[in-house]
Order: sequence, then structure tokens, then C-alpha cells
Amino acid sequence: MAAMENGECDVQEALGSINVHNFTEKILEQNVHFHVMKFGGGFFLWVGSNAVLSNLAVSISSKYDSMPLSTLVMGDTSDTTASSLSQRLAKKTKKQVFVSYNLPMTDSNLTLLVENTIKKEMELHPDKF
Amino acid sequence: MMAPQPLIKSNQAERTINGLPTQVVCTEFSNYIFIVLTQYGKIGTLVSVTPDTRSGDISVPMFTSRVLLGKDEPLTHVYAKNVATFVSQESGNRPVLLGLSLKDNGAQTMKTIKDMIKSCQVW
Repeated sequence: MAAMENGECDVQEALGSINVHNFTEKILEQNVHFHVMKFGGGFFLWVGSNAVLSNLAVSISSKYDSMPLSTLVMGDTSDTTASSLSQRLAKKTKKQVFVSYNLPMTDSNLTLLVENTIKKEMELHPDKF
Repeated sequence: MMAPQPLIKSNQAERTINGLPTQVVCTEFSNYIFIVLTQYGKIGTLVSVTPDTRSGDISVPMFTSRVLLGKDEPLTHVYAKNVATFVSQESGNRPVLLGLSLKDNGAQTMKTIKDMIKSCQVW
């Protein structure tokens, strides 16, 4: 352990407690649920209308590219919604972002409204992300 | 009016094991149980542990583990199967998605962590 006065304190701060935040928004006549798990250096965000986990993407900022790196670790690779959403959220927050998007991908209007809802919630509760 | 129950059920536990702050978060999905085990405050290595459907007729079920993100080491598979098997069995054979980032991979710590998982059962 380094003999810095605040060393221990900083480690504790960095570890922090994993924080869970749930919210629901009616978008285009349907209830869309959001589940956020904030951890050290990033967060996990699940979006859906029923409790299924059908895909998972992860993004992290890179110093070599203005756009964060993104990869799909679970689910259908032809559906890029989770991947691109995590990429945009990683760019916005500069954090590691996991996204699971479980709404019909056919409706791009819905996707846009969902993204706006997330951004609005981030402004309202920046400590939760 | 009472706040509606969130659709996604989750429980968490925090304990210090051998001086290391340890956190467990269990989250229930209809097709998965998601468990984060961390001593770094991160999700870390992502591993899926899936029950083998062909093993329905034999007494000892088989599980397949797959590292989805992070370093693919033999110990990770052993660890993941060890902590996730009982969760899968108790949750109607649901696959388990595990986020692993531990400083101490010892057997005694694993036993305590399994108790912590039991204490935040969501299934």
C-alpha cells in the first residue's frame, strides 16, 4: 500500500457501492422499463418492456478514435441497436457502458425516443449513471 | 399511491472477506440470472454458464461455460461453474450470466461468496 494520506480513502471511493436505479416511461403507448446498475467506471443499462435479456453490448472510449469501441457479447449480431446505443452513451459519459436493448428494433422512432429518455434521466440523476 | 415494483428484480449484498470489500449483485431476467461478484467494484470478466439440455435424463447435470468478455483462463471456467451451478438449478435451469472481478479466488472466499449469493436470491 502506498503511504499516501488519502490513498486508502481514494480506493474506497473508487470502489464505491454498486448502485441500482429503475425507472419506467410511457413511450409511444407502451411502458418501457429501464434498469441501471452503476459500478466503478461505468454502468450497465437494460431497456425493455418485459424482463428478457436478449442481447448485450459493451463500449469503451479509446484514445485512438473519437468514437468509442463497441462490441456485442451476446445476442443477434445483425441487430446493431444495443451496440450503437452503448457506443453513443460511452461517448457521452466517457465510461464503460453495457447496454441490453430488448424492444422491437423495427421502430427507429421508438429507439430515438428511448435514447432521449435515457439522456433526460442522466441529466436528472447524474449520480445514478 | 405506492411506487410500482420495478420490472427487473435485483438484490445486493456487501461484506468484507479477509479485509477485502466484496460486493454481490443478483438480477433476475426471465431467461437469465445475472450475477456480479466483485472486489474491484467492476463487472470484470463476463462468463455465461448454460445448463446442457441433453443432460435431462442423468442425475448430474452438465454445464457449459463461455467467456464472453475478458481473459479466458481455465480457472475462470472452474470458478464460474462452481458458483453458478446451484443458481441455475434453483432457478428452473436458467442460464447464468456472471460478472467476475475478484482479487481472492480462494476456496474459502468462494464459499462465503456463495453464501452471499444465497442471501440475495432473486429467483
